[in-house]
Amino acid sequence: MTQLILFNVFNGLIIGAFYALMALGLSLILNLTGVINFAHGGFLALGAYLAFALMPTIGFWGALIVAPLLTAVIGIAVERVLIRPVYGRDPLYSLLLTFGLAFILEDGTRFIWGPATLPFSVPSWMAAPLSNRFFFLTGYRVFMVLLVTVAVVVLFLILTRTRLGMRIRAGTLDLETVSVLGVNVRVLRNLNFGLGIYLAGLAGVLAAGMLGLQPTIGSELIMPSFVAIIIGGLGSLPGTLLGGLLIGIASGVTAVFFPSATEAVIYVLMALVLLVRPRGLLGEEGRF
Amino acid sequence: MQRFSMPATSRRAILKGAAAVGALQLASPFVVTARAADTVKIGLDDTFTGTYAELGKNEQIGCEFAVDEINAKGGILGRKVELLAEDSTSTDTGTAVQKAHKLIDRDKVNFMLGNVNSAMALAIGEVTNQAGLLHIVTGGHTDAVTGKDCHWNVFRVCNTTHMETHAVAKTLMTKFGKRWYFLTPDYAFGHTLQSGFEESLKANNGKELGASLIPLGTTDYSSYLIQAQATNPDVIIVLQAGEDAVNCLKQAVQFGLDKRFHIAGAQQELEVLEGLPPEARIGTWVFEWYWKQPNVPHLTEFVAEMRKRNGGKVPTARHWFGYVATWTCAIAANQTKSLDGTKMAQFLQDFKLPPEVALMPNDPFYRKGNNQLMPTLYVGHAQAHGSDDPEDLFVIDEEVKGIDVALPVDQTGCKMTWPT
Repeated sequence: MTQLILFNVFNGLIIGAFYALMALGLSLILNLTGVINFAHGGFLALGAYLAFALMPTIGFWGALIVAPLLTAVIGIAVERVLIRPVYGRDPLYSLLLTFGLAFILEDGTRFIWGPATLPFSVPSWMAAPLSNRFFFLTGYRVFMVLLVTVAVVVLFLILTRTRLGMRIRAGTLDLETVSVLGVNVRVLRNLNFGLGIYLAGLAGVLAAGMLGLQPTIGSELIMPSFVAIIIGGLGSLPGTLLGGLLIGIASGVTAVFFPSATEAVIYVLMALVLLVRPRGLLGEEGRF
Repeated sequence: MQRFSMPATSRRAILKGAAAVGALQLASPFVVTARAADTVKIGLDDTFTGTYAELGKNEQIGCEFAVDEINAKGGILGRKVELLAEDSTSTDTGTAVQKAHKLIDRDKVNFMLGNVNSAMALAIGEVTNQAGLLHIVTGGHTDAVTGKDCHWNVFRVCNTTHMETHAVAKTLMTKFGKRWYFLTPDYAFGHTLQSGFEESLKANNGKELGASLIPLGTTDYSSYLIQAQATNPDVIIVLQAGEDAVNCLKQAVQFGLDKRFHIAGAQQELEVLEGLPPEARIGTWVFEWYWKQPNVPHLTEFVAEMRKRNGGKVPTARHWFGYVATWTCAIAANQTKSLDGTKMAQFLQDFKLPPEVALMPNDPFYRKGNNQLMPTLYVGHAQAHGSDDPEDLFVIDEEVKGIDVALPVDQTGCKMTWPT
């Protein structure tokens, strides 16, 4: 039993890392602009489908690099045309806009690539377990965790060591003052949105290697990301990371004792956190 | 200077928004084809969005093909036939019921078809029974539809879960062993499939090592697969359908479990095998209809015509379900020269499908007493690549007569009350 629990905890960490990747992009956008991007799942699906379309030409590795970038470019364009006009308005505007956009993206992928599940293969050497004992550690899963780790480290380096990152962090605290200091806030929001969508696209390509590629792939994965943000604490990227890992572990451990509650447990965890510490585990008081 | 004030997004707003996302998953656009007052209307209340979207769409294509054929042959009672299709969603039974009421009360349909989801098929059956409408269940497999919750007006084309499990159980026990672990979708369809297998295990001194009840629409199966392998079974029984089956099988193969245990299940579909990468097309399954069968009259013509309508792809069991269900309505109405539900339902008792509709051997018929079609079931195994056609992904090892694996009517729990 102990071994089973440990297996599930470890497996939960792997899944949690994936949830965290999605949630980080979402959190990045939310922190700077206050926009709750319900279309994040749609962009995730777009990234996955773009990778599928590119794979015959540039292979899995090429698609892994290019597809998230293309998704980010589309995200930047969407921000410029659709999201920008609703900044500063009642949050309901952006909620409705991104919600509609989620449907458009899902139906768009369905229209272009069809409703059928598409076979998305990863390189064969990755799609095998590394050992018989730890069979759930496949090459692909280990690669996924490494890539998420690299992505998180790079993201935190960008935010702490680059001028753009510092401006994003400053804007998260007080966008008006940042504007007064001469920073072009429009460009800042635009690039920040692109960065968030890049992470969604990357999560999409990784998800397609593990799951069936279908138009609903994004909407199925989006809810755990929201839960991760709320558990971790709004406004805190480390909190989001922690939230993602926690729900992964909670879900994995629950599978040992009560398999049918693996989905419900993450919402129970969220409710508990909201009751005990409403700002989330690492959220700043009064931030939201 | 421009003002860039931070909008007041509160945690409460995010929670409300998240709840709204959940709620709006239930709302979905509906599809309606052209309609006219003097036509005979067939309502299709089926899953066009969500996890069973592809299966529902394929049933619709089968229905449309049948409608075109029926119209080309003079329609129903000399009137043109039209198909009114509504999206039930894949998981919200409330929406399915609401759409059934809309089709009956507002659109005044003469027949009802659907649904892929077993719980929805049962719920829609209650609505059509109250309205006295002939209802053909296209793809909901749970036993109760033609068992304890049967109705005089509700017929079913696809098999019962009992038939599917009993068709394949013996093969699994003989070839692979009697110690099984179940991965079961946590709703009516999964539960009845599991109990069908459990019955066979018990009767043959087999052992159930455990079962994971898994929510519908689950994406990550790793924790359940860890549970399954820990029991060291002879066979891991995968009872998922649609996209859930794709996710489960893909992950099981990535974990190398197919090399250590046999993977099998009851119902398998071409849609699922096509959605899997070649290495994950594994296992022993039951197909309810297959496009490639030797010496079946009219099959070649059907497949050729469906390829034209389906972007060059071959028809699946789902296309066939829709096709047979629609033709059943037309034949019942034209033979009884009536659109009266009771008359048509009585006519269909023990009615044998004509070969051009049956498209399978052994003369399938709607069994009197519980309205269940008794077709042929195909037990076989999946293959990574087709030998002469890329869509030939299933090898039929054995044909099983439905009547041989179905429960006798008096054991189904079906007690039909006909209108006086």
